[in-house]
Amino acid sequence: MEDVLTELPPPSRFFLEDLNNFTPPTPPLPSPFLLLSNPNSKTPLRPSLLIIALSTPSLYLLHHLSSKTLTGTLVLPEISSSGNSVEPSLKDKSCNLYAITHANESIILANFQYSVPSERTHAIAKTLIGQQIIPERVLIFDCIQSRNFRGRLSTDDTFALKLETAVERKGVPLLKSLNYFPSGSVIEGLGAALLGRCQMKNIKGSLCVSWPELGGSVTSTLKSVLLKDVLPGLELKIDANGEDEGLRFGHKHHYIDSDLYT
Amino acid sequence: MEFNLEEGKHLYDECSTLILPALSIGNVGQLAVDLLIASTNAERIGCLDDPNVLPCVGNDAYIPTPQGDLALPLEAYESPSSALTLIQQRSPVVKGRMIEYAKNLADFAAACGKKHVIILSSLDFGRWQTIDMSSGQQIYYLSNTTVDGADDQCEKLGWKRMKEYDPNQKLWKYLNTLAEGSVSQDDISLLEDDLGEEDYYPSLPFAAMFSCFKAKGLKVTCLLCYCSEGDNIPDAFHLAEAACNLVGLRPDTFKGNEGGGWVIPFSWQSVYGPPPDMSLF
Repeated sequence: MEDVLTELPPPSRFFLEDLNNFTPPTPPLPSPFLLLSNPNSKTPLRPSLLIIALSTPSLYLLHHLSSKTLTGTLVLPEISSSGNSVEPSLKDKSCNLYAITHANESIILANFQYSVPSERTHAIAKTLIGQQIIPERVLIFDCIQSRNFRGRLSTDDTFALKLETAVERKGVPLLKSLNYFPSGSVIEGLGAALLGRCQMKNIKGSLCVSWPELGGSVTSTLKSVLLKDVLPGLELKIDANGEDEGLRFGHKHHYIDSDLYT
Repeated sequence: MEFNLEEGKHLYDECSTLILPALSIGNVGQLAVDLLIASTNAERIGCLDDPNVLPCVGNDAYIPTPQGDLALPLEAYESPSSALTLIQQRSPVVKGRMIEYAKNLADFAAACGKKHVIILSSLDFGRWQTIDMSSGQQIYYLSNTTVDGADDQCEKLGWKRMKEYDPNQKLWKYLNTLAEGSVSQDDISLLEDDLGEEDYYPSLPFAAMFSCFKAKGLKVTCLLCYCSEGDNIPDAFHLAEAACNLVGLRPDTFKGNEGGGWVIPFSWQSVYGPPPDMSLF
């Protein structure tokens, strides 16, 4: 039996290095940058809507938008493109930018297909929003992080919630059919950095977070949100087995998700 | 550090005292600031953006029926009736960037014309060297009023000066030089020896903030209490009450239903997760 007096305490909410002024900082990385199909343009792109897909089901759905044109890519110098295919693929480690024309609106879609550490997200958000791309409105698709959610989460449940910037809440909201993310829980990472950037720049911004992280049911939920609130009438080219593929896509095999196996 | 003032809001000149948390064991400083914001009915006037703070977003943490007001990692609140500005920090600092963050905070406070900065922090009970059982939950303090960290007002309130503060100690001196910009953190190689027990206090976030605010010529007081990690809400009450005593506020004049008039932030309902699933029973 363990000795209750001398056994190790449970893990702290903080790592020791989080509370140490003299922890050495990690070496700085080169800034992310955008490579656009029209690199000589001196004027920023001003789409009416910038959609940024981070979650697995949203990446799957938006990859299957039929009427999109590859228009650029976001480059993180530390991310290797080894193993990426010439034609955009869901398996690539990339963040491609696409132009979509829908109902006379100019829309840019960013499919963010790799994970990044939290420390990098501020720089990425700055690159995507407010410099070469100045959108009127931003919509981010992310997933609920169970470690940061203070309510009950069951994989049997399927739902989507939202958070919005102040200026988005003032007008007619984009995501009319969703309830707000509950107080007491938080979202961290790139989705949070992007929405925070919108708030600081007074841009209309919405963050749609969904649960569970992947699967056919949440893919259907997001498809409904897309077609009802965001892009009504848009064509999504998903074949008869598309819902099943949505189930399988995103199941990461971590032992082969490595540059060693490209 | 960028400051985004909310539409229709402005900084109040009379809010010359700034209260903010330092990251510390049990998140006590942050819990105490939550309590003060809710209880003084402080209004949010804007948010701060700093690349040294990790991002997070959430729904309004304070009102009983949140309407979707976005909560961000660094937010500024003011309570003109209490003459207080409060900054709440909701997420950690990027590893190794605490001093940069503290410098940015100090620059912001000085630019806004703050006169007195109060830093709320906890200390690890496991490091408590001298157990004084007669004093109950003792509040410790560190002030730049005098060179050795003492302050008459704090002494009159029955608090004890943090005796581990030694301005001539290696790391406290090093913090001062970093805060003044005389050396860069790359020069940490100047510290040739491994860090010892006496280096614990200057290594903590409150020490970086203390040194940076001091370097800007602001009056700064750190209020500290020892605790262990667990349910740290009682520690937060204790520290918040100490802050009120320092600025001359009486919690029994707050409009809350809790004992002493405190208003409990709505987000605290789920601070330790959801209640147990009663269907188990």
